[in-house]
Amino acid sequence: MVFRTLFRPKQRPTTTIDMTLSHDGANWTASNDSVHLRAESLEALDRLVEQSLHDELADHDRLDVFMAFDNEVIPQWIRPYMNHYFNRIIELPLRRK
Amino acid sequence: MAKTQRAWYSGMLTTEDWWAVWLGLFFFGLGLLTLAGVDLVGWVAYPKKWVFSLPDGAIAKKIVTMDKSFYALGGKYSQTAKDTYKALGPIGSILITYLVFTVATTIGAYFQKWDVKKYLAGWTIIFFLTYLVWFIGHHAFFSASVVDLKKSHFPDMFTLSLGGGASFILALIVGLIIGNFFKPLANYLSTAAKPEWFIKTAIVFLGVKVGYLPIKAVLIGSKLGAKGSQIGHEMANLTFDLFVAGAAATIVAYLIFWPGVYTISRLMFKLPRKTAAVLASAISICGVSAAVATGGAVRARPIVSIMVSALVVVYAVIELVILPGVFTHVWPGTSDPIVAGAAMGMAVKTDGADAAAGELLDEFMRQKVEKESGGKIVWMEGVITTSAVMTKIWIDMFIGLWAFILALFWVYKIEKHEGDRVPFSEVWFRFPKFVLGYFAAWFIYLGIFFGPGQAGGTPEGVSILKAAKAGAVPVEKGFRKLFFMLTFMSLGIITDFRKLAEAQFGKMVWVYFVALVFYIIPVAIVIAYLFHHGMTIPNMAAIPGGVIN
Repeated sequence: MVFRTLFRPKQRPTTTIDMTLSHDGANWTASNDSVHLRAESLEALDRLVEQSLHDELADHDRLDVFMAFDNEVIPQWIRPYMNHYFNRIIELPLRRK
Repeated sequence: MAKTQRAWYSGMLTTEDWWAVWLGLFFFGLGLLTLAGVDLVGWVAYPKKWVFSLPDGAIAKKIVTMDKSFYALGGKYSQTAKDTYKALGPIGSILITYLVFTVATTIGAYFQKWDVKKYLAGWTIIFFLTYLVWFIGHHAFFSASVVDLKKSHFPDMFTLSLGGGASFILALIVGLIIGNFFKPLANYLSTAAKPEWFIKTAIVFLGVKVGYLPIKAVLIGSKLGAKGSQIGHEMANLTFDLFVAGAAATIVAYLIFWPGVYTISRLMFKLPRKTAAVLASAISICGVSAAVATGGAVRARPIVSIMVSALVVVYAVIELVILPGVFTHVWPGTSDPIVAGAAMGMAVKTDGADAAAGELLDEFMRQKVEKESGGKIVWMEGVITTSAVMTKIWIDMFIGLWAFILALFWVYKIEKHEGDRVPFSEVWFRFPKFVLGYFAAWFIYLGIFFGPGQAGGTPEGVSILKAAKAGAVPVEKGFRKLFFMLTFMSLGIITDFRKLAEAQFGKMVWVYFVALVFYIIPVAIVIAYLFHHGMTIPNMAAIPGGVIN
């Protein structure tokens, strides 16, 4: 898994779609200029993202969605200690369990 | 407007972490100018131990009268502007110190998008309150040691012998009183009460101290001829030993602490898996930073990290109050000062509280050993602080890697998020940037020591080291201690113990208490013992003329 993360095998260039990830207290949210999605779990959110990109997926073998976390969620008083929560990338289509 | 980190340079002008680097390196750079014969740092006001009036027969050497209780460090150490800085007097040097740091920190506040007016007002109050406390804490009753009394020909009298520790404790007490009993004032000051910023800046200044230690040893020992150079080498070796031992101890601590606290949380207190992971990192690694990093790594809801962070901040201050005294008088004691320092670095969970506790420990231990030996043992100041900060810095540096590994493990093995990938850039985003300033300052002074300074082995080398000293002392002593004082004061101001009672932390309070007292602290001492036992601090009293501040 570490190997896969650090040294990804060469493949066709992947299209990357940027989104901002956040949490509103009850739900995870993913948004950009085109969509605003929300779900209780990240897994459910990922499926919503996949559905919302259905048309783009039809034109690509694979899509990467780069989710940069909205660090405004971290309260001001915590930011001096660590001002970054986490970023993630999801690879679409999702591999079903 | 979302605030995200995508590029490697994100936050360079907008975060406290980076601003600690800029501030620290700016003043470090000013200090280096003494090598070119220009002294731009000697204005910093530094306290002396004082009494209202000198007793009969006493001389104003280590203890002076109240009107001389502050002096510009350049008035003593400058090679090129001694008279100018002497002429500033106590009030002049305090005002210049205020002006310079007000401008420097306000620029930082502006770029960090704080309310500049509020910052300026709060900073001014905190600054002058800090100097007032520094003044009171240096009254001879609180601070004078046996050696101070002897050198100033004072009659035998009872003093608390707390050294500079008295001022730190007093600053913390004053801050806590404001933070807990004068809430409106504390809220007003909160824009300028920034303990993490102050301490990270102080740690960059500590880098100057670590690099300067061998220079100081050589210059003190230069009266011994070739032996002086040898003492300098020994001190340089000691700092490297601390560096290596700190790294090793930290790795072991990570591997022992985390699984232990996670197991306690899960088995004894039945906490959910993600909460246990966040709590384990917070208690066993580096507090708030680790709580947030781990929360992100295990994809916990942000509220989990926020709650744990609130707990950490309060516990860290409790540790700061209790541990220096316990480590000095109970265990590990003054027989193993470096072990105690390193254990402190592993036990106290925020940078501010740890460095502050290390500094207190340094003061307490040096004063105790000096008192008990009747002045025959005098340890060089700052070595114990360095040992406490060195382990903490390693812990801080590893958190990014740890969170990355944990994220991989969690995403691919525990929860198996399909299609989820962890970007390696996460390691950099979590890297504590202020340590770059710390290492830069340390290695550049070390380069001067071994390079043009020739380790003090030649008269030309010694003269370069003397020039370096003139710029290093105001930074490593004046600026560093001032920022430590500001840290103590600010920590107190932002700490509200009622939060602990009001918040619904439930079991987490008890997990923290049990894990810290019965697991982390004892194990930290044992690990510190394994890696640091046998390291000794040179006895400056054994060197003729060695007890020089």
